[in-house]
Amino acid sequence: MAFEPILTRNVRKPGSETIDIYMEAGGYQGLRRALKEFTPEKLVEEVKASGLRGRGGAGFSTGMKWGFLPKTKDKPRYLCVNADESEPGTFKDRLLIEKDPHLVLEGIILSAYAIESSLAFFYIRGEFHQGCRTFEKAVQEAYAKGYLGRNILGSGFNLDIIIYRGAGAYICGEETALLESLEGKRGYPRIKPPFPAIVGLYGCPTIINNVETLANVTLIAERGAAWFASIGRPPKNTGPKLFCLSGHVKRPGVFEAPLGVPFLELLNEYAGGMKHPERPLKAAVPGGSSMKILPAAKCDVLMDFDSLAAAGTSLGSAGGFVMDTGTCIVRALHNVARFYAHESCGQCTPCREGTGWLVKILTRLERGDGRPEDVDLLAGIAGKIEGNTVCPFGEAIAWPVESYVRVFKDEFEEHARRKACPMRAAAAR
Amino acid sequence: MPELSPPPHQPNVPAPAPPDAAPLPQAGPDEVALVIDDRPVVAKKGTTLLQAAEEAGVLVPHYCYHPGLSIAGNCRMCLVEIEKMPKLQIACATAVAPGMVVRTANDRVRGVRAGIQEFLLINHPLDCPICDQAGECRLQSYESAYGQGYSRFQEDKVHSAKRYDIGRDVKFDAERCIKCTRCIRFCDEVSLSHELALFQRGDHAIIGTFPGRPLDNPYSGCTVDVCPVGALTWKPFRFKSRVWFLKNIPSVCAGCARGCNVDLATFRDRIHRLTPRANPEVNRFWMCDEGRQSYAALYDRPRFESPVERPAPGDSRGARDASAAGPDSPWDTALDRAAALLRGVVERHGAKALAAVVSARLTVEDLYVAKRVLGELLGVPRLAAPPHEAGEDDHLLLRRDKTPNARGAEALGIGAPSSGRVKEILEDAARGGVRGLVVVGEDLTGLPGFSEVLYDRLDALVVIDWWKSPTVDRAHVALPACGYGEFEGTMVNFQGRVQRLRAGLRPHGEADPVWRILRDLGRRFGLANEYATPRAVFEDAAAKVAALSGLSYRALGDLGAPLAAARERFAGAPAPGA
Repeated sequence: MAFEPILTRNVRKPGSETIDIYMEAGGYQGLRRALKEFTPEKLVEEVKASGLRGRGGAGFSTGMKWGFLPKTKDKPRYLCVNADESEPGTFKDRLLIEKDPHLVLEGIILSAYAIESSLAFFYIRGEFHQGCRTFEKAVQEAYAKGYLGRNILGSGFNLDIIIYRGAGAYICGEETALLESLEGKRGYPRIKPPFPAIVGLYGCPTIINNVETLANVTLIAERGAAWFASIGRPPKNTGPKLFCLSGHVKRPGVFEAPLGVPFLELLNEYAGGMKHPERPLKAAVPGGSSMKILPAAKCDVLMDFDSLAAAGTSLGSAGGFVMDTGTCIVRALHNVARFYAHESCGQCTPCREGTGWLVKILTRLERGDGRPEDVDLLAGIAGKIEGNTVCPFGEAIAWPVESYVRVFKDEFEEHARRKACPMRAAAAR
Repeated sequence: MPELSPPPHQPNVPAPAPPDAAPLPQAGPDEVALVIDDRPVVAKKGTTLLQAAEEAGVLVPHYCYHPGLSIAGNCRMCLVEIEKMPKLQIACATAVAPGMVVRTANDRVRGVRAGIQEFLLINHPLDCPICDQAGECRLQSYESAYGQGYSRFQEDKVHSAKRYDIGRDVKFDAERCIKCTRCIRFCDEVSLSHELALFQRGDHAIIGTFPGRPLDNPYSGCTVDVCPVGALTWKPFRFKSRVWFLKNIPSVCAGCARGCNVDLATFRDRIHRLTPRANPEVNRFWMCDEGRQSYAALYDRPRFESPVERPAPGDSRGARDASAAGPDSPWDTALDRAAALLRGVVERHGAKALAAVVSARLTVEDLYVAKRVLGELLGVPRLAAPPHEAGEDDHLLLRRDKTPNARGAEALGIGAPSSGRVKEILEDAARGGVRGLVVVGEDLTGLPGFSEVLYDRLDALVVIDWWKSPTVDRAHVALPACGYGEFEGTMVNFQGRVQRLRAGLRPHGEADPVWRILRDLGRRFGLANEYATPRAVFEDAAAKVAALSGLSYRALGDLGAPLAAARERFAGAPAPGA
């Protein structure tokens, strides 16, 4: 572990959320330098050169996303911060918001400068009470020090921030649903195109970035694109990354490592290995609950966008979870499916109707009322959802169902054949 | 365009491909050339794939898309394959692009459609036998055209609110609802009343209203029209008739000066509902609730079946009871008597003692014959039509002017409805200056200048009306006319658009259309024209009245045509509510 944590460099310091502690460690120097040395265009180039990819789940190049803004400036541009972290097993943004809000805030100011926006919205998950209070305080501190408001650090650049709390819907983390919610409407994802960079919040060009992505922008401004690009697995998977690991591990938590760290290293060294030594790894979902599952035998993967894609899953929001051999996969999938059925916004047909159907079948299977045809039916329903929905939520339910059923088909078939959950039966004996 | 009629049961088998791959046709500067199901298609720039396909004769099934509403893209039924795009795309929200190669009916698309159908039906009650929508339900039509015909769903369905009053005249069954949001969009975008919204999430999502604000706007019936399934039903039509028994007759609403185009649905000689018929120039896809129920008067008001005669002062022949008719039909004797009474007034007091109150709710044909017979042959010096006004013009369709043919009365030289002229006539009658009055299609009660005493001063009161009004009850000769739906003819709406009304019912009893009653009365004063049909009347009118020149029933078609005077203005006029 030669890697020096940098995103999390402050989080263990007492009072890390205050501007004084943040500035003691060199905070806001990157902003000071960027406002003096960089034009907005140059800053966009710098972020492009760093190879930074969005940390929210899709892994799209941040600089390229910014480049999609229209060249004309007849409308205001907005920066929206996606702090609606709600994927089960993902809790990395929360750490930054609660423990180092100024790292995020500096990134917001830099990014707003880069895209020439003078109004940013911070859309924070409603349940993040403490994070919201902390961030509000950080914003006040930044105003007091002149990092927000009019003519920031004498540069002529103005920025205001509006903090908006969500009301507890997972779907509002989808960027266009977030925009709808921010506009005061029901959180329904929009049809794309047009993309938010062209028609976003209130019909104006809008960039939506994840909290961790923006924290990384601070680092790029502070230490330069070349430094950033040297971390991880260049050229396409660069920079430090926060990884969440939960489930049957000894020390669940958020761990910082360069992109491309081996999953087994995360599991065994960062998270302290399996929780119960007598129950080895059965399967893991490295990217988060909406990603595809990997059986133990395929868990020797590198944790970056492209390696995981090659392994048939995705990095997602890096909210990995680990299951040991005591886990019933059917029950695990039932749990995941219940979440997605509950959170489906109900806008489009396949997801609205399909998620509930999947749960009903899984409930039966787990209860001991399974039928042999259920196994193929689960995959069939997932297949009818995937790719046919308004937003990626369809994939978020279809991928786990498809992969759990494919990888652990025997277990599903056994549930149907035995008309019982074998794990439960074993536990009862 | 036929958005309001049920979609056809079409198997959607793609047309056989031309021998060679279809070359892209030439496209103009504002056009885009593309290929849909191997057919070369030229579409206007900015049109959607769904529209372009429809114009090329390829129907892409859809629930949530409606040409009069914004794009929602939620039903996913119109997903089509576009070459070079990995995912299927919704045709309703995808703009045509040059060189696009689109497939709307290959195995992949059909598989997804069948999947959508299955999804939509898993929580649907499948209660077609007791559902009013059956027969014009998109779920039914599409299931037979694109569905797999069975369901793999064997779980408990999601249950929800059933048949409750979501509004004054609309019932809602949440279990039948497919959450296409057409009704919500209608209230948000067209009626601008914003009563409806979606509540809850996932498969528990439900359309609803806000506390204390039911669906109650002047256009609430349109939510039922746009509902592609049986979730919203129109209370007055519930359980009245299966839709496949209904005969839809293209006609025009006579409720106000707008003249919304409607389909008059009849079964067993009764109107069961009026639904809007799309006309971009007049009402687009909509109509108001008042108009929708305007036919109800036909069944609520008392009718009279045959001519009625009553004693008149100085009438030597005395009254005849119609039921005691001799060898002549009651019509002949009644018309003879009406003619005699009117002639008597002329002989005693001169033609200046005659007047007529005619209605601007009558057709062009009725009013034209009235003008000829009463004005020209009898020499009635004063013909006036009373105005009927209520409410205000609104943002969409409703007009303050409730006379559907005011512009027609004006064009024919009778003059626009005028309370001053009617008042003058009725006051003169009360004073004894008018001794013979012909009233066509109006109840005098409550008109400007009306007083009961005038009935006692008249030597001749001849009334033609479709219902047994208080004026009919006082008439010396009352002649029953056809009610709405029983006659055909034309009316000129406030825009100056001439539109055809068609008959869907047999006349009540011995009722006759007004123009024919007046024609027969006219024969007794030497009217030579045959006027065999309303078409013949209209042709004669078009030949003689400048405003109608160049028009014919053929030219009017189903969507009408502007008066000569309005033709120029029409060219640049925006569609209502656009």
